[in-house]
Amino acid sequence: MVELTLPPDSRVNKNGLVYRAPEGAKKPRTFRIYRFDPDSGENPRVDSYEIDMAACGPMVLDALIKIKNEIDPTLSFRRSCREGICGSCAMNIDGVNTLACTRACEDITGSEVRIYPLPHMPVVKDLVPDLTQFYAQYAAVKPWLETRTPAPPDRERYQSKEDQEKIDRPSACILCACCSTSCPSYWWNSDRYLGPAALLAAYRWIIDSRDESTGERLDALEDPFRLYRCHTIMNCTEACPKDLNPAKAIGEIKKMMVSRQH
Amino acid sequence: MARKPLSPHLSHYRFAYTMATSILHRLTGLALSVGLIVLACWLTAVSQGEAAYQRFASGPVSALLRVLLALWLIAFVYHLANGIRHLCWDAGWGFERAQARRSARIVIVSVVIVAALLIWAFFFRGAR
Repeated sequence: MVELTLPPDSRVNKNGLVYRAPEGAKKPRTFRIYRFDPDSGENPRVDSYEIDMAACGPMVLDALIKIKNEIDPTLSFRRSCREGICGSCAMNIDGVNTLACTRACEDITGSEVRIYPLPHMPVVKDLVPDLTQFYAQYAAVKPWLETRTPAPPDRERYQSKEDQEKIDRPSACILCACCSTSCPSYWWNSDRYLGPAALLAAYRWIIDSRDESTGERLDALEDPFRLYRCHTIMNCTEACPKDLNPAKAIGEIKKMMVSRQH
Repeated sequence: MARKPLSPHLSHYRFAYTMATSILHRLTGLALSVGLIVLACWLTAVSQGEAAYQRFASGPVSALLRVLLALWLIAFVYHLANGIRHLCWDAGWGFERAQARRSARIVIVSVVIVAALLIWAFFFRGAR
């Protein structure tokens, strides 16, 4: 359901703690970061950290790690590969979903860098959202090869170069959830709409030339909510940090739904 | 189970052309649905003869209707233009980021031009 405002226990206190830059900072910059402590019983708040960019790495993730190491060890966020391949550090930076490790602080216009968790998600702590439902939706599209025919005894199931190229880009999805949590349709109907990430995964298996349950996969998506809550807003494609195109994948699925009836 | 607040969404996400064109399509569709009811009333009045029609065609009701009609005209042109954009998407065309941005710009520019021309043609050209 559409709920434009946050529930009372989720409203954000914009005047949280303020950490000033150290004396003699050459390039001070303010990071305003969403904080939520599940043990405090208090509402989320926004803390301000002034850090010296002259003594900090270029990416937003570098700044977060610097804050955690040097200023406030209680700050929680997910991170791992720091090169845009694990998808752990997905968050809302400067109003847009992206990966903290591939977003340069320098590219953010405006004096302050605002860092929030992925939108419309249950927050476990600070910048860590609960992705349980997101992963369940991924599992729901059966993201594995389904076959009826027996596998060739002496080799793998081959596929042509052209057929491989069809799944090449969709396979590059890192499941960071930037797309799904940027989608207003997903915000209002994530309990029934699968969202762009899961649908991109579904598309990747639907068009796989080796997969033999294309019809069943389409049947499973033939639903007013699961697929058709996509209204081609295009936030997903705009948000994807891997330059993939979930909106186009969903459009292709919709086309297949129509063309298979004729 | 610990409490998990909902992270900020609509109020926080940067408002971009994507959301603007989408919500405008909905709002104009809604406005046109309401307009259809008024159009039905107007046609009914026409069919009931001159006296009934005069209530529409003169006085403050007429002035209000003219303003609304102009707004509905803009809504109609936008809904039509963006509807064509959606039809292109349904046919599988225009999903690349650059294309979607360009088509949004084309829609906005053409709405301004076409709506201005229509309003001029309907309300000012033949003004007595």
